[in-house]
Amino acid sequence: MSVTDRGYRRHLALALVSCSLLTFQLALLQIIATSQWHHFAAFVISIALLGFGVAGTLLALARDWMMARQDQLLPLLLCACAMALAGALWLIRALFGGFDSLLLFVDPAELLRLVAVACLLLLPFLCGALVIGLVFTAGTEKIGSYYFANMLGSGIGCPLGLAGLSLLLPEQLPPLCALLTLAAAGLLLAGERRRAAHAGMLLGLALAAITLLQPAQLPLSQYKDLSRVLDLPGATIIAQRAAAAGQVHVVAAPGLRSAAGISLNWSGPLPSAAAAFVNGDMVGSLPPRPDSSNPRDATTSALPYALGKPHAVLVLEAGTGDAVAQARAQGAATVVAVTSHGPLSEVLAASAPESFGRLLTDPGVDWQTSAPRTWLARDRESYDLVILPEVGGFGGNAGLFALHEQPLLTREALHEAWRKLTVKGLLAVTTWVDYPVRSPARLLASLVEMLDQAGVSDPAAHLVAVRSWGTITFCVKRTPFTAEDVGRIRTFATRWAFDPALLPGLRAAERQSYNRLQDDALLTLLDALFDERRKALYKDYPFNIRPVSDDRPFFAQFLRWDQLETMIALYGQRALPFLESGLLVAGLAALVLVFLAALLILLPLVRLPFKGQRGWRTLLYFGGLGIGYMWTELALIHRFTFYLGQPVYSAALVVGVMLTCSAIGSALTGRLAKLRTGLWATMVAAALLLLALLLGPLLQATLQLPLPGRVALAMLVLLPAAVMMGMPFPLGLRLLNREHPAQVPWAWGINGCCSVVGAAIATLLAVEVGYSLLLVLGAGAYLVAVLSCTSRAAQL
Amino acid sequence: MRKPPVLPYRAYVLLLCLVLLPVCDARAESDRATERMAMVREQIVSRGVKDPATLAAMRAIPRHRFVPGSQAASAYDDRPLPIGHGQTISQPFIVAYMTELIRPGPGRKILEIGTGSGYQAAILAATGAEVYSIEIITELATDAVARLRELGYGAVQTRAADGYHGWAEQAPFDAIIVTAASEFIPPPLIEQLKDGGVMVIPVGSPFFVQTLMLVQKRGNAVTSANLMPVRFVPFRRAE
Repeated sequence: MSVTDRGYRRHLALALVSCSLLTFQLALLQIIATSQWHHFAAFVISIALLGFGVAGTLLALARDWMMARQDQLLPLLLCACAMALAGALWLIRALFGGFDSLLLFVDPAELLRLVAVACLLLLPFLCGALVIGLVFTAGTEKIGSYYFANMLGSGIGCPLGLAGLSLLLPEQLPPLCALLTLAAAGLLLAGERRRAAHAGMLLGLALAAITLLQPAQLPLSQYKDLSRVLDLPGATIIAQRAAAAGQVHVVAAPGLRSAAGISLNWSGPLPSAAAAFVNGDMVGSLPPRPDSSNPRDATTSALPYALGKPHAVLVLEAGTGDAVAQARAQGAATVVAVTSHGPLSEVLAASAPESFGRLLTDPGVDWQTSAPRTWLARDRESYDLVILPEVGGFGGNAGLFALHEQPLLTREALHEAWRKLTVKGLLAVTTWVDYPVRSPARLLASLVEMLDQAGVSDPAAHLVAVRSWGTITFCVKRTPFTAEDVGRIRTFATRWAFDPALLPGLRAAERQSYNRLQDDALLTLLDALFDERRKALYKDYPFNIRPVSDDRPFFAQFLRWDQLETMIALYGQRALPFLESGLLVAGLAALVLVFLAALLILLPLVRLPFKGQRGWRTLLYFGGLGIGYMWTELALIHRFTFYLGQPVYSAALVVGVMLTCSAIGSALTGRLAKLRTGLWATMVAAALLLLALLLGPLLQATLQLPLPGRVALAMLVLLPAAVMMGMPFPLGLRLLNREHPAQVPWAWGINGCCSVVGAAIATLLAVEVGYSLLLVLGAGAYLVAVLSCTSRAAQL
Repeated sequence: MRKPPVLPYRAYVLLLCLVLLPVCDARAESDRATERMAMVREQIVSRGVKDPATLAAMRAIPRHRFVPGSQAASAYDDRPLPIGHGQTISQPFIVAYMTELIRPGPGRKILEIGTGSGYQAAILAATGAEVYSIEIITELATDAVARLRELGYGAVQTRAADGYHGWAEQAPFDAIIVTAASEFIPPPLIEQLKDGGVMVIPVGSPFFVQTLMLVQKRGNAVTSANLMPVRFVPFRRAE
């Protein structure tokens, strides 16, 4: 027995390295999401996570050699992991200066930089995974407890990482992760005299100390909002705050003004205003002081105020508070402002006491920090005006946000907003007009279907729209618009050189008096959505403009795969903005990952005998478990985001509880010797199917519980399935070790590869089939694992 | 007897290079001119730009001198190119289309907001128009000024400043080109347009202009029009 096998040192080391890898992963996600965009971050990290697959392949190929030297290798690998954790970002910056994802579309060399970045980021995962895999392979008889340590470490890493992101800047976390990993190396080295490992420890410590003092930041893409604003002369970051929900920056510059979509008739001043950014993307600019004129009054979003003074207003996703300030200035007595980003409000209040600070302390404004979608479902009040956040961006956004969930624009959310309106209440939403028309069409389709669902016989009488040179604002009223309303809308439109787009009694000539369109596509499309042509349009329009649902809340995803070929044939390179880079990058990532994973899974077969059914069973069993776990986890995070009201709470709770409970399940396998692998995988599949069936109604029925109650219930619901989900893997590995020990590292590598591929495919599946079905598919993956071992069930 | 001094062979190679360099350069310039002619023919004329002054300017201005070295080989490709600071040099067709829209020529006073590389300003100047150009990013402004002077377009008046305020001292303008599109149209720019003047603004993501907005001023009335330089998918209307 090796020295390091004594006590629980390996268990502890395993837990520490697992914890640090998960924390690093979370930090990395925010670092790359800030410097680039979220989907590129997911892409890069998915590739890096394939380090687990590479480790499995290496272990399968060099199992005997590594097993014979495990005591020397483990501390060395941990030191290497620590150095890679501390130095990867620094190295990327020093060697390539990062990469710029938008340049991928114009400069092929950028692809090489992206690959190089992903490869460098793979190193810490590879070294850490080699440690985990080596411990698993060498101690398969204790796999239950080792897997417990691994899962528990990761389970702790999730809340720890999120806490770290709330307290520190994300680039400060990697060196701390390195220190955790060095502690693991120290545990294995205690009392040992190994010069190389001690030298590695010292080097790792030095690197961690240096990067702790001087954290390496990846340069911002020159096309990120924050980067462009910081390029302005005199631009300064006046506030910055770490937050798990996204880093906040507030920037001021003399040339920084915001008056999105303002009328061509506005002749007042547009003073400079500081702007807020979350993960480098602009959220909005600070509202003007209460005593100054508000340029927002000269945008189409002021339409509801042209119809009268609302008493109670609900502003969903209040952000920097410009819609709140406008509502108060327009005479609203009470405004409920719902924001999902609490730290953003705190930073704005501190950095702009004269504008945002006043709003925050205004007795007429009730600030609520919650996911607006959850607020909408839980709130029981009625409002004269409900304002939804602005949709889209000026000139479109090249599909960058195709995979962003927009839960306020779903059928269900709109219906709930409608139900909140007082007798003469209004629902208002503004969108940028894009070309070809997508956002306004889907938005109107959603509103018309909402009215249909509410039993309104003539939706056209309840819906008006006014268009400027760039935006269009839709207003829906509980009661039909009166002649007086129509007159007021016309006066408002004329005052600001806007054109009514939808209005009872509207004449064709009125629709383009001030802002002429190249053709009548937009207006024809809007008209067609009111009648029986709607269904045909859904079918025939080259973009998907059907309303979205809570289950598939991807409002900005318009691409129809069946039109892809036509688009490319018609436009070639110019089709790119229509092809939605967010979705394309996710698709490309999935393809690359499937290819690399297949390569990594097949490579060990050079050395390992792949004997027919046995090989397939190993592949399907451990692959099924890897994919099933990820699909289940991601589907549950989505479900609980709606329930708990914060994506961060949901991710922390679901990942934390699932990993910890799975760890317990795994530990139990060591004590319950007679557990049957197939039986437990079947039970997991059954439990997941049950969850898929009952979770929705259960969460809906208990949505009114206070947060602690909802958290407790969520934990209770997750517990049984998560405990069971921790059992099949160690049981299978133990069985495999009895029958074909040489396949153990291969099986572990298959599980790692399939987890990464599963996570990458999950997003695409959610877009196509929805999160509910993703949960069912997760259960299906477990069933595949079950089926792979049924023929030898007698042995299990 | 002393031998006459012999130049080492390296010196011959050097001399040869010095002699050949301008030849190579001239050859390269001639190749680029050929590319430029092809660009005008295949990307601009074929898409309907007809204005002779615009076409002459597009044929004359060496676009490859306005892009970063790393992008020079792609200078005449049918696409925009990055020039740093999150800015791009527009696709050749967009430059030509916008130029044709504002009908530049001798006696026309034109303001450009967003000098960028200086290419659009050079094209306008080549038509004989009086050009004023403002760039807010100091580094871009400095480089553009040097480039314009070097290529003989020093008559273009440039200023490193916030384009929001326009160029009040030189107002009013016959036309304004806003090459760096923003979410709003600064009121001072509308004020600085002549009666009957036009303003052109490209709308889209950094690498793709999806539409152009034309703002027209007639007396106190200001109207906008969307012009689509790229035809989109015609949707099939349900009969």
